[in-house]
Amino acid sequence: MTCGAPLDVRDKVSDSGWREAPRLRDMTEFRFSASTCQVEGELVPVAEINLNPQDGVYFEHHVLLWKDESVPLSSLKTAGGMKRTLGGMPHIVTVANGPGRVAFSRDSPGELVVLPLHPGMELDVREHAFLLASHSIQYSFVRIKGLSNLLHGGSGMFMDRFITAQYPGLLMLHGNGNVLERTLRPGEKIMVEPGGFLYKDSTVGMQAVQMPLRTGLLGQHRMFLAEMTGPGRVGIQSMYVHHHASE
Amino acid sequence: MNTYVCRYCRQPSDPSATTCPMCGAPVDIRDSVSDSGWVEQPPIRDMTRIQFGQSHCQIAGTTVPVAEFTLAAPDFIYFSHHVLLWTDPQAQLSNMSLRGGWKRMMAGMPLIMVEGRGPGHIALSDNHAGEVIALPLQRGQRMWVREHRFLCATGNIRYDWEATNIWYDTGEDSQHQDIHYPMGQYGDIFTAQDQHGLVLLHSPGNTFIRDLRQGESLLIQPSALLYRDVSVHAHLHLEYPRNMGFAFWHARWSYHKIWVRLTGPGRVAVQSVYQPPEDSEAIRNTSYTTVYRW
Repeated sequence: MTCGAPLDVRDKVSDSGWREAPRLRDMTEFRFSASTCQVEGELVPVAEINLNPQDGVYFEHHVLLWKDESVPLSSLKTAGGMKRTLGGMPHIVTVANGPGRVAFSRDSPGELVVLPLHPGMELDVREHAFLLASHSIQYSFVRIKGLSNLLHGGSGMFMDRFITAQYPGLLMLHGNGNVLERTLRPGEKIMVEPGGFLYKDSTVGMQAVQMPLRTGLLGQHRMFLAEMTGPGRVGIQSMYVHHHASE
Repeated sequence: MNTYVCRYCRQPSDPSATTCPMCGAPVDIRDSVSDSGWVEQPPIRDMTRIQFGQSHCQIAGTTVPVAEFTLAAPDFIYFSHHVLLWTDPQAQLSNMSLRGGWKRMMAGMPLIMVEGRGPGHIALSDNHAGEVIALPLQRGQRMWVREHRFLCATGNIRYDWEATNIWYDTGEDSQHQDIHYPMGQYGDIFTAQDQHGLVLLHSPGNTFIRDLRQGESLLIQPSALLYRDVSVHAHLHLEYPRNMGFAFWHARWSYHKIWVRLTGPGRVAVQSVYQPPEDSEAIRNTSYTTVYRW
């Protein structure tokens, strides 16, 4: 499995260690399982999947841009339907099976993040950020724990969790703006604007922390940031709805 | 003696570098100038560093660029809290109060700035696809910037604000009066105090710069103005097309075009993303205005 990243460009790493997600070139094509994915466009990129008969992908229904007439759609059984609805997550996750072509995009300028998952990996993703995942990846969700995290964390009530068991799989996200990734050492901390959080390894702890700042006239607004604690990867997006001021 | 001046930031710069160390603009490319004299500001290249004091800023990304500061202990920056993307736990954040809090709040301007002190890293980004524009200011130099375009400034830059004095009102009578500020109610003024400093702006879309000669004037969309030298004057200009369409039958409506007239001398910069005023009600009163009826 490949990820389509250009190999003839240098890694772009900032002085503090954030690595830019490789920007996929227009019309880049890469393989996963027995299928292929081609990335089209650069401002609001489209992922066009050519599905092999034994492959399938699942996604939130509103990211489906177009599909071949012959591609069958079904729904993925997800646990906790009512909780998901209350949490603002999609109640039904849609599945497309091969053979045929199907294409996806989210309606915001940004980047596609291609994350090949090897067996035994667990990745947490901000809700409504995942574009598609291959059928070999298990999909669940985790409730964000702690009242402070729920009220001030800015990441909603739930995060999507993607787990690979014995087979590898492909996960694609859409990040708004530019996407940057950093690997935290055990115990290393970083404070992130909650709206900028995109994904993390499940080993990375996330906790909303109140900053000693006021952001309103009479001090009635408080500022919260997400404290991420390693070990593991953290991905952020540079365009976001900011959440860290609350009354 | 170094006589090379960067075309974009107008500061003495290094002609042998690939990017201007003061503003980050690439200098190893050909200028892109329109026939009418607008110079396209080239986007700052990914991972370019801009030096200030003992610290530097690195620009990461090109769609919605991030300004990542590596702050040395004596240096600090200030910014509005909603542009903070991430920070090291060891960087110190505190409040920086501004004068005129009530007026600022009523005008929708940031009420309280956050001060970020080194040593440590702080990264900022705005929420629109566009470019980061670096404006290095020499000691004593001032610059007018349209509200909400400010990303951050170094600690030695003084931040003031003043009314734009560009407004018009609509409405049937004084009880239903709506006052409009097409360029915002207030503008930001940045001044380098005892030494040179750096102001970063976020410009949605692309950015174009032009130098106006003494007395030369230009009409622009009010919300497209990004920054201007304080020597450039601005006032409202109204144009009424010859064909009034269906508006003639009711005095409440009128077809007009709302501009800001900029008059040199000085440098002006515009952004390519803007919101044109959509109001079509008749204008009753205005700030100082020039009018042209076709």
